[in-house]
Amino acid sequence: MRNLGLVALREMREGLRSKTFLITTLVTMGLVAAIILLPQMLGGGTQNHTVGLVGDGSAEIVDTAVRLGNAADEDGEEPSVAIETREYASRDEGVTALQEGEVEALVVDGEEVVLRNIGIMGSGVTGLLQQAAAARSLEEVLEEHGQVAAVVIETLTSDPLRVTTPDGDADEEGGQRWIVAQAGMFLLYMAILIYGSWILTGVTEEKSSRVVEVLLSAVHPWQLLGGKVLGIGGLGLAQFIITIIVALAAVNYTGIEIPALEPVLLGNLVLWFILGFLVFAVLFGAAGSLASRTEDAQGVAMPMSMIAVAGLFISFAALENPEGTVAVVGSLVPFTAPFVVPVRVALDAIPWWQYALSVGLAILGIVIFVRIAGRIYSGALLRFGTRTKFRDAWRSADL
Amino acid sequence: MIVNLTRPMLVFDDLHKSFGDIRALDGCSFQVRPGKMLGFLGPNGAGKTTAMRAVFGLIRPDSGQVLWEGRPVEKDTATRFGYMPEQRGLYPKMRLHDLLVYMGRLHGMSKGDAAASADSWLERLGLAERATDRVEALSHGNQQRVQLAAALVHDPDVMILDEPFSGLDPIAVDTMSGILREAAAQGKAVVFSSHQLDLVEDLCEEVAIINQGRVVVEGDVKQLKEASPYRRLEIDFDGDIGDLAGALDGVHDLVSFNGHHQLTIDANTDIRQFLARAQETGHLRTFSYTAPSLSDLFREAVR
Repeated sequence: MRNLGLVALREMREGLRSKTFLITTLVTMGLVAAIILLPQMLGGGTQNHTVGLVGDGSAEIVDTAVRLGNAADEDGEEPSVAIETREYASRDEGVTALQEGEVEALVVDGEEVVLRNIGIMGSGVTGLLQQAAAARSLEEVLEEHGQVAAVVIETLTSDPLRVTTPDGDADEEGGQRWIVAQAGMFLLYMAILIYGSWILTGVTEEKSSRVVEVLLSAVHPWQLLGGKVLGIGGLGLAQFIITIIVALAAVNYTGIEIPALEPVLLGNLVLWFILGFLVFAVLFGAAGSLASRTEDAQGVAMPMSMIAVAGLFISFAALENPEGTVAVVGSLVPFTAPFVVPVRVALDAIPWWQYALSVGLAILGIVIFVRIAGRIYSGALLRFGTRTKFRDAWRSADL
Repeated sequence: MIVNLTRPMLVFDDLHKSFGDIRALDGCSFQVRPGKMLGFLGPNGAGKTTAMRAVFGLIRPDSGQVLWEGRPVEKDTATRFGYMPEQRGLYPKMRLHDLLVYMGRLHGMSKGDAAASADSWLERLGLAERATDRVEALSHGNQQRVQLAAALVHDPDVMILDEPFSGLDPIAVDTMSGILREAAAQGKAVVFSSHQLDLVEDLCEEVAIINQGRVVVEGDVKQLKEASPYRRLEIDFDGDIGDLAGALDGVHDLVSFNGHHQLTIDANTDIRQFLARAQETGHLRTFSYTAPSLSDLFREAVR
């Protein structure tokens, strides 16, 4: 136990002192904060467009578009949409201006929208202009019948349809749950792979630098592998928790209320980080021991990385259908459970017995993998030279 | 520490180990006595490294065992052992002092003791000012010194060094020799393997020569030489050596180069008449009659 602790301590100390750790921590924190804060910063302002006008009826459509875009704004806020207009004498002049980038779209005679190329068809301003043209027609029809045209905009923008799914209301909290589930899944995937590959390179470096023989003269292979997993896992856990705290702080700063973000969800993320990291760390450790050179390490670890990617895809399936067969099976397999179960928990779509079973199976899996990985690790460590084959390592487990 | 200098300390007891079809150890047995340095010799691939690895449980013998003070060596007792593997290696990114403290602690030292020992080793190897440098910043020679310190920082009772002199410059060889001599003088058991037989002859009282996984010669170097059935006769002589040597009985080998002649003869050959005739010719400049060198014993043993 003493040596296990010493190995873990060394990993933590050297890890904390390395630039890599500092940089990945800062980059992760920055990314998470940016992902949360940027939409708020960008979306909070006004959408600005520049549109060229040719002929009669074009200006009215743009006016209507601005009214339509800002109809849902509350008093005192910045407007959601602002459209700057430029007038041109002919369609040709307007097209030239369009091609030179002076305007992003050209409205001709209130009947035609000219775009630079068809790819911009879906861009924000086109849809708005189309809606505005429809609203204008409606207003004209009403005016011809002597009705009050002003209600058109109000009618168009109020009382949108209630959107539901077969499971019930697609209310705001449901949408939030979906986002929280997705964010948590990506965080877990990143963290598990980053720290798993840290284990991989750490093990290979010990072997390629040949320091491993001196170490093994004093410690057991399981102490060396176990200490490394604990030390790097500790660092990873610290970084993961810091990332979550940064994310919460950023959410708090934006002032968005997220009732779906319950403390129990965060606790669940941490639990699955630990389980998922352990599953992949021991496997990456075994893979790392098979490679004699750092360049070989990624190749040896390819099957593990593929399994992680498969887990990610299954968790996408679970986002779509959290109670389907794929999601249920994915929750029970220790390799994929770390990615799938947190998604289902965030969507509130996993029965307690399945949750308990998946945790139990993951722990059982870890116990089994530690045995297998430990044997491969000890069989492969002193076989220098070429890439060690899995079978040779298994057979020559000597230590 | 009171050590009984005659009691065998480290015993290699009939080790067998095969890797597939290759027999690396085939009944390897010898003993290392405290206070006496033992040179572990053998051609490449004879099983030296495998035998040394067996001490630390780095390979598990198919049969046989390594005993220390009568008990099988376990990982726990191996903390009293120091090992310098043939494949040198340190953590390139670690700072020297941290590395030595870590190695000391892995071998059971307290933090304070390990730090003090690391300091004294760095001082002794002339690396005190570089204590906070990373290993990778050192020259090759200095890395070798740190490697030795890493093996000995915990002040082991038994030192097992695989080719400690390979790749060292003459100054570093002197440093290494000094450290090993001192350790043996303190009553420690020291085993090292080497192909530099002159060096082994200078340093070691005892040798074990392994060939094809089996120790074929073992014992006190002086006694082994005396017990040899051969003697070595060297003369610097300008006349016709063929004619002169014809008068000797039991000549097994004659090597001549530039007036220097080396003869391998039976130990019981009477050389007085030969010497007298050589003197008569007036061409004899130097003459020596000695027991065979360690190199001779080695070649004889592994032939």
